[in-house]
Amino acid sequence: MIRRRFSALVLALAAALVLSACGAGTPSGDPDAQVLTLMGKKSDLEKSYMTRVFEAYETATGNRLEIISYEDNEYEALAQAQFEQGHVPDVFLHFHNADLARFDTEENFYYLNGESWVDDLTDSARAYCQDGEGNLLGLPFWESSVSGCYYNKTLLDSLGLKPATTQKEFDMLCQALASTGYTPICWPADGCGWMVQFAMDPIFADDPALLEKLNHNEITYADIPQMTDMVRWIAGAAEKGWFGSDHMATGWDDISPALVSGKAVMTFIWDTWFYTDLEQGGQYSAEDFALMPVFMGTAPSGTYEGGNLNMMMVNKNSDHLQLALDFLSFCAAPENYNAAFDGISTVSCFKGQTTNIQSKMVTDAHDSIEANERASTAASKIIGYSSGDAVAAMNGLFSGRMDIDGCLQYMDKCRMANAGWDDPAPGA
Amino acid sequence: MMEKRSNKILLSVLLCAVGLAVIFVGVVYFRFISRRIFEDSTGHLEEIYGQVNRSFGDFIDRSWDLLDSSGDYLALAAEENAGAVEEYIADKQGQWGFTSFYFLSHDQSCMTPDGTRLSLELGDGWGTLAREGSVMAGVTLSDGRDVTVFAVSVPTGRYRGFDYDAIAIGYTNADLANSLNVDAFSGYANCFVIRDDGAVLLSTQEGGNVFKNYLSYLDAASDLDEEGLTGLRSDWQNGVSGLIQCQVGGVSCCILYLPVGYQDYVMLSVVPQSAVSAGFLSVQKTTIIALAVLFLLIGATVFAVILSRSKKRSLRDQTELRYRELMFDMLSNNVDDIFIMLNTEDHGVDYISPNIERLLGIPAEEARRDIRVMEKCAVDYDVVIPKGELAAIPLNGNRYWECEYMHQGTGERRWYRMTVYHMRLQEMGRYVIVLSDRTQERLNNQQLQQALTAAQSANEAKSNFLSNMSHDIRTPMNAIVGFALLLEKNADQPDRVREYTRKITASSHHLLSLINDVLDMSKIESGKTSLNLDSFSLPQLLEELKIILLSQAKAKRQQLTVHVQGTPPEVIVGDKLRLNQILINLLSNAVKYTPEEGKIELLVSELPQASPQYVKLRFVVRDNGIGMSEEFQRHVFAPFSREISSVTNTIQGTGLGMAITKNLVDLMGGVIWVESQPGQGSTFTVELSFALPEKEETVRLFQQKISRMLVADDEMDVCQGIMEMMHGSGVDISCVTDGAAAVEAAVQAHRRGEGFQVILLDWKMPGMDGVEAARSIRRQIGSDVPILVLTSYDWSDIEDEARQAGINAFMPKPFFTSTFWNTIAPLFGAPAAPAPPEEAPAGQMAGHMFLVAEDNELNAEILTEMLHMEGARCELAENGRQAVDMFLRSEPGTYDMILMDVQMPVMNGYEATRAIRASGHPSAKTIPIVAMTANTFAEDVRNALDAGMDGHLGKPIDMDAVRELVGKLLDEHAREKEQRGESQP
Repeated sequence: MIRRRFSALVLALAAALVLSACGAGTPSGDPDAQVLTLMGKKSDLEKSYMTRVFEAYETATGNRLEIISYEDNEYEALAQAQFEQGHVPDVFLHFHNADLARFDTEENFYYLNGESWVDDLTDSARAYCQDGEGNLLGLPFWESSVSGCYYNKTLLDSLGLKPATTQKEFDMLCQALASTGYTPICWPADGCGWMVQFAMDPIFADDPALLEKLNHNEITYADIPQMTDMVRWIAGAAEKGWFGSDHMATGWDDISPALVSGKAVMTFIWDTWFYTDLEQGGQYSAEDFALMPVFMGTAPSGTYEGGNLNMMMVNKNSDHLQLALDFLSFCAAPENYNAAFDGISTVSCFKGQTTNIQSKMVTDAHDSIEANERASTAASKIIGYSSGDAVAAMNGLFSGRMDIDGCLQYMDKCRMANAGWDDPAPGA
Repeated sequence: MMEKRSNKILLSVLLCAVGLAVIFVGVVYFRFISRRIFEDSTGHLEEIYGQVNRSFGDFIDRSWDLLDSSGDYLALAAEENAGAVEEYIADKQGQWGFTSFYFLSHDQSCMTPDGTRLSLELGDGWGTLAREGSVMAGVTLSDGRDVTVFAVSVPTGRYRGFDYDAIAIGYTNADLANSLNVDAFSGYANCFVIRDDGAVLLSTQEGGNVFKNYLSYLDAASDLDEEGLTGLRSDWQNGVSGLIQCQVGGVSCCILYLPVGYQDYVMLSVVPQSAVSAGFLSVQKTTIIALAVLFLLIGATVFAVILSRSKKRSLRDQTELRYRELMFDMLSNNVDDIFIMLNTEDHGVDYISPNIERLLGIPAEEARRDIRVMEKCAVDYDVVIPKGELAAIPLNGNRYWECEYMHQGTGERRWYRMTVYHMRLQEMGRYVIVLSDRTQERLNNQQLQQALTAAQSANEAKSNFLSNMSHDIRTPMNAIVGFALLLEKNADQPDRVREYTRKITASSHHLLSLINDVLDMSKIESGKTSLNLDSFSLPQLLEELKIILLSQAKAKRQQLTVHVQGTPPEVIVGDKLRLNQILINLLSNAVKYTPEEGKIELLVSELPQASPQYVKLRFVVRDNGIGMSEEFQRHVFAPFSREISSVTNTIQGTGLGMAITKNLVDLMGGVIWVESQPGQGSTFTVELSFALPEKEETVRLFQQKISRMLVADDEMDVCQGIMEMMHGSGVDISCVTDGAAAVEAAVQAHRRGEGFQVILLDWKMPGMDGVEAARSIRRQIGSDVPILVLTSYDWSDIEDEARQAGINAFMPKPFFTSTFWNTIAPLFGAPAAPAPPEEAPAGQMAGHMFLVAEDNELNAEILTEMLHMEGARCELAENGRQAVDMFLRSEPGTYDMILMDVQMPVMNGYEATRAIRASGHPSAKTIPIVAMTANTFAEDVRNALDAGMDGHLGKPIDMDAVRELVGKLLDEHAREKEQRGESQP
């Protein structure tokens, strides 16, 4: 740990020297050209749509982007070191997750609510980029997918059943599928963490105050009734056999065989998985599947989870504040983002996004997604949340070692331990 | 027994048959009832949904009517009058409850009354509408609501610029489903409106509908086979109604289908069978419960009656059993037999008689819990209930054992005969054990055996005794006869005559002692011996014993010592004669069976005694003689017993001495025992209790005369004994343990002016003996202080030397205060105790006239000769009568004394004495009369005195005794005569 910090410090100093040597804001060639510093994770900055838009900007404006990139595993530490030393870049790339709190968003970043491009953002993308008080922190410029309940439409048709539109219908559907001998939901015991995360999204997305309190250690999961509803639904589903009789032995690798064979009818996953991980040559293929919302007791009309998005945030204390805002506006222009995302398989962040490739499953469920999509919240925004802890808690529930309250207490305990809190705050 | 068992089996079979028949009838009945109930239930189902279907048909008809009437209105309404149209439609909407109204065009475009254009996905419904002029179809609106649309063709019209040729109304499926819902079947019924291909139009499922095609679902989720599904589809297509039962999703369901009556729509109701029959089943269940309760009540009543009777019978049996048990307990309490009943399985106690506590000291309850507690009582029978042997007893057989038990409370041992019967009671094996008390029988047998043994032993002992006596009597008799013959032949040789006479006398004495012992034993054994109680001096008794035995001991150069431990009282009340006899027997035996130069010791000590009026004394006679075997010790006190050995064979004895001693000790209420080892000597211990006379005044006398005394003895025990005995006398005693120290102490005290009033010196002390010490003291302090010598030895040899050395007096050991006082009293001028009468000197009888009554001529002659030898005269009487006559005829003073034999013909000595005493002769009351008889026991003496005699002399005549007694009586008689003023003749 000491060695890593030392390395980070050296790199930070080196970067500082580079920044100072560049003579901030003025490129060495063209005397009118401006220079913007942009800091991000190396692999993120190498994405094709990123390099395309950077090049387009430099070409169009003559300005130059000074890219500061760090290896993925060092990014958080080095970037934080830079911020602590006052070397805040003009534009900063970061996911809206719990780690963002290290960078003091209120102190460092410009709220973008008033920018002209804001209305072009999809609702989910906008929601993702807002803080708890509705301030838009950054411009989402990233590829993503839609997570939801993907079901075997062909099989469902053959069984005379149709997809659910409500929690009630979903439960009826599961019961009807179970009565036909199929496994309604493929639930991998070692991967249920993200599935739990889907259920938690509406809780905190619909009521951001809960997230704030949770992250300020003012409440616990046990204090949130929807969390209890979620665990109760999961426990009930497992008990009724909706996850199959052998779900405790089902792992990540078993999802694909279960779906292509028709053994399982539904699973909670994202669309791109069908094109990257689903086995070929089985009875069913990606074309047989369709998308409906996830119903896990927390949203009566179901929920979809939008992707995690990288945001471009502007240093509000920068000497090049306007230049940076202009850069974001450039990126948010339909012609520019359509050029950048041309041919990229992703869910749209902008309403006017047309050149990207979206799966049929997503486009067919467009209206439903529009109505029920929530930004990914649990994994990215709850301090101390761990997918592994959620897996352990659910497995404790399934094995009977924990009851519903015990399961929540375990999740709370792990969360607070991860956050470094000894106990819930008084009154929590 | 067998018959009873067969009846039981038959009864059980009958009961089982009846039970099975009842169950069979019940099952058949309830199956019949169930079938009937189901038929009724399905009829009920058909009736309900028939009604629902008719209502739905009516609704459809009304919808067509509404649309027809609306079409007519619209045809008449002016195109421009949109407001009126909207009002009309709103009015109808409020009246009929539809949710939407549409103007349709054959180009599949659609507009709402407010002019909103939209797309209505009627699918093939457009074609149907065009063909048939009306259609009912389900659509999903853009807001997600599922709606059922009723559309009819109307004449072409124009509304808000929209050319329409059909109009439609829409009802939300949720609203329609509500109209299809029924309250029956506990909410488990689902109703669908489907097409004949199974496509679901409406569903009454709560919360929504997930069924798209119910026929497909049935294909996947029901147990209907292809034929069943085909038949179903065929019925639907042909507008046939029907009811089927099948499993749907694992639930047994009734599916009722009814054609709606419009196009190919079918109403489908799916109800779980349990819900279909629920109401009836509830009645059935209630009926079953009621019947069950009824049967239970009947059963319970019957059971209660049976139980009551059984209880009464059981109570009666138990009471009877209890009475029997109680009676048996009472009976057994009054006998000495114990009754036990065990089961053969684990030997648990079924019954045990309560007298076990009385007889063995074991609480019956404790024995009932675990019969093994009886093992505690077993004396030498290690297994009380011999389990292995019990098992060996055949059924209906028995065995018995003899056992000895000890009572746990009292320790009393009793013998029982344990008889065990093996039998079968109440289908279980039982051991019935009877412990019969055979103690008395056993004791009787033992006593008989002991008596037999004793008789045999006594017979043997007496045979041995006779053999011994024959030998022992013959030996002195042989000597007497032999020496008498020799005397006759050598009568002229005075030396030989004296020698033979001495030997004859010795043999005679031995023979006499033999006879005395035999008689004494006989007397004691016959219970005729009694004690003559009087107060006597213990020191005097010991002194006399010492005198008697010292000569015997000296003859064998044995050391005889008498020790007194503690401070036993000096005067006690008892039979001195018998105590003397006991101690002489023990001491003379000790002397007899102790080799020359051996040691014999008499130790007297006082034992603790609860009563102040009595004293308990222990007399221990210890010697280092030949001892005796352990075997002989066991019957040393038996009569006629003598240990046979090379040593004892040379010693004369009758074998009666110890038996007499033991009997005398028993007679005196004491105990005697012996400890001995062969070659190590013997120790006889006698413990006797004596009454105490009134307190003596010795202490007061000591306080007056003496305040300080010096004692010198090398034996510290002697010094301690003297100090203890003098304790409380007020005399301050100083003790030293050698002569020199005594001299020093006496001189120093004298010089201090605190001289001793008495000095008591042991004779034989290491270094300076008592005589030397006395001499030295006298030299230094003069002759004022009395000096006494204390010794166990005969001091006659040194008496002169001692007196010359300044010794004032001698004192025998052991030290007694009375002896001490008697010794020193004359030295202080105090009166001494009366001196014992001195031996009558020979010749005292000379000149006196005796009347001798003796029937035996020989004895009379001997006595006459002896009296003559003493210088006396006598007249003879042949019997008592003659003696009385001679006395009565005599002048007063003729006879000085009458010597009276006791056993005489005509009149015995007692009668004669009484006659004399009772006569009027002047000397009748005063003349001394002395019994001379072979009856020498104490009671003989008492009888003689009671008869009025003045003394008793035993036969054969011992002239010393005669001289002593006669001399004493003559003196007394003379003094009395003097006192009466009579002159001696």
